[in-house]
Amino acid sequence: MSVTFHIPAALREFTQGRSTVELKFSGGTVTDALSALWTACPGVRDRVMNEQGQVRQHINVFVGNENIRYTGGLATLVPDPSLISIVPAVSGGN
Amino acid sequence: MIGEVLGHCRVVAKIGEGGMGVVYRAYDELLHRDVAVKVVKKDASLDSSSRQSLLEEARASSSLAHPNICTIHDVGEIEGDLYIVMELVEGKSLQTLAGETGLAPEAVLRHGVQIASALGRAHDRGIVHRDLKTANIVVTPEGLVKVLDFGLAKRVGGGILEAPTLSLSTVQGTSGLSGTLPYMPPEVLRGDASDSRSDLWALGVVLYEAASGRLPFGGRTGFEISAAIMREIPAPLGPPVPPGLWAIIQRCLAKEPMQRYQRATEVQAALEAVQSAGIAFPEPAADRSGQPRTTTLHTIQHVRIRKNDFVLLVGTSKGAFILRSNSLRRRWDVGGPYFHGQSVYSLAYDSRGDRRRLWASTSSFWGTLLRCSDDFGKSWTNPQQAPIRFPPDTGASLKNIWQITLGPADEPNRLYCGVEPAALFESQDAGETWSLMRGLFDHPHRPRWMPGNGGLALHTVLLDPSNKQRMYVAISSGGVYRTEDGGQTWTAQNRGIRALFMPEKYPEFGQCVHKMALHPAQPERLFLQNHWGLYRSDDCGEHWSDIANGVPSDFGFPVVMHPRNPDCVYAVPVESEEFRCSCDGRLRVYRTRNAGASWEPLMRGLPQKRAYETVLRDAMTTDSLDPVGIYFGTRSGQLFGSNDEGKNWVRILGGLPSILCVRCGRVEEDGFANVFPVMSKRSHSSSKKTGASARGSSRNAKKR
Repeated sequence: MSVTFHIPAALREFTQGRSTVELKFSGGTVTDALSALWTACPGVRDRVMNEQGQVRQHINVFVGNENIRYTGGLATLVPDPSLISIVPAVSGGN
Repeated sequence: MIGEVLGHCRVVAKIGEGGMGVVYRAYDELLHRDVAVKVVKKDASLDSSSRQSLLEEARASSSLAHPNICTIHDVGEIEGDLYIVMELVEGKSLQTLAGETGLAPEAVLRHGVQIASALGRAHDRGIVHRDLKTANIVVTPEGLVKVLDFGLAKRVGGGILEAPTLSLSTVQGTSGLSGTLPYMPPEVLRGDASDSRSDLWALGVVLYEAASGRLPFGGRTGFEISAAIMREIPAPLGPPVPPGLWAIIQRCLAKEPMQRYQRATEVQAALEAVQSAGIAFPEPAADRSGQPRTTTLHTIQHVRIRKNDFVLLVGTSKGAFILRSNSLRRRWDVGGPYFHGQSVYSLAYDSRGDRRRLWASTSSFWGTLLRCSDDFGKSWTNPQQAPIRFPPDTGASLKNIWQITLGPADEPNRLYCGVEPAALFESQDAGETWSLMRGLFDHPHRPRWMPGNGGLALHTVLLDPSNKQRMYVAISSGGVYRTEDGGQTWTAQNRGIRALFMPEKYPEFGQCVHKMALHPAQPERLFLQNHWGLYRSDDCGEHWSDIANGVPSDFGFPVVMHPRNPDCVYAVPVESEEFRCSCDGRLRVYRTRNAGASWEPLMRGLPQKRAYETVLRDAMTTDSLDPVGIYFGTRSGQLFGSNDEGKNWVRILGGLPSILCVRCGRVEEDGFANVFPVMSKRSHSSSKKTGASARGSSRNAKKR
């Protein structure tokens, strides 16, 4: 089983420039899949999560086309194969 | 020459001619193999020392046994002719293979790994190529890359860098500057010393050309090409070039050697990572020019800092800028923007010890980080793990770093950060690791502090230079707290400060302090700009008295002190809590020279009509020079400065994003600099250093 992560441009400094990272994955939740990503690319973690283990306010995580905010959060099960996308919120005003 | 014997090689046929000489196919009669022999022309304007060093380099290069380096078998002289015997390489040059459209990314990566590997071996032996280019890289029909002319490039004739290019297919037309200049790094054009990192620049040019068929820096004349190399950034390579490869090329083509990869093996590893990882290679586009352009280029200018320069650090809602000037502070070079799109709420210049370090806090969707630069912004740390983090048991998470405060000069590894949610962090190892100061975080008042408009921020940290155990912090909205035991315990020090928004107007704590300042020459004295109210304390914050005598409004944000005169303070009053803009549309700084007994407006050169400006709490600072300079930035992105204590003002810059923070420092010869971040970061030695003139100035002030 494998999971592919789509990495936004702002974080590619921590994935050796890769836009996608494909990892072997033994199955489980989004938390499990992200843990595998943190092991492979440690710099990504603190950009996506705060120190209390919550996804940052303006960052969205999608499994396939679904935002995990509406599918059970980090406990969402990851089907095989999956594309997990890390997406900064489209917001403005500043 | 045909039929002649050079050493033990019989010349068979001429196979090419270049600017410096002729290349022949020859047969090594001793070892029975085909070889190439380059005979350097007598008129190749080599003086005797150049000739000697060419010989020496060729001999050194002959020791490079590597599958991707064209082996040099022998060098020698015959009747004054210098000749080099080398491996005969048959294939096509990378220049030819790249053609006009470039190679497939897979091929670029495959060749790039081999070139980087060759450079790695040579650099390990202390040999720099100095003239790497697609014309002297040959790819054999089996796909093996051979880098030619290692260590043979030397300065010849009038100082023009030229290689005795040997490639069979590229000998023609490679003489002179045109074949080489596009691969020269900026440091070589500047006349600085070149090293192995210059080869990594050339590797970036080679990879760019191999991937696109174009040179990254072009031009019709040598001047245009040089100008492009020095100043321009190359057009981005989009699909089918994978982003990882483009990132590697960009890093090779960093203008400053320090910003590039430092070793060829790093480039090799990065290319291999792109090669082996499961990277999505987008389908090649039939017509690249028709693709939507979504790549945004960040143009960052760097300022070159010299000894005795004066630097002004400006943090905005969308990045930081570094300005430099000399002690006159009239003309400014502007560097930046650094940290594109990120808010920079705090900056500091740290010259303690032997360092010349800039500190910056950056904040975006991706979190808040403390970063530093030891080369005035050319490169910044970007730690994998955020070093300032709340412990798990607090349940809190870092929102912003409002203040970076340097520890005492004799403790150069000590630093403090005031953060949001209100807390104080301390580092004792120059920012490597940080710990939450529990004495303040566990204070029984903390649950009753209330966030102000900017969040619940601990925005001011002041150290008492006469007593290392004493520190002050200011919290919006929590008020002033002081420790007398180095941070173990803290007491609220707000007697006399109003809190108009509270049912009780003079509570023990909960005041919305906007900024506080301390004078190192008189550290028991503090000044404070409150959310309504200007105050002074002469007893370490035990009691505060209202000093808003003659200001148009006692609402405002910054309060900064004169570096030498503890009676002289600057503030920028704004109209009402709701409006928060300069009173009557007139931008005026107010100064007191009698510790708040009276205030005078300073406005010459500042806009006095329809100037509805706001100066935020950290967006004002004073320098240490004589006469004193004062600088402030506005929410509308204008930066103003005065180099004569506030008498005359000029607009230094306009059109910046909202200015959040202004700091300054002097790059002194011994690395020592005076930094005056609203007087909160004075060090012992800076006060000592300015002590003599401080007394003189005070006397003068009294006379006036």
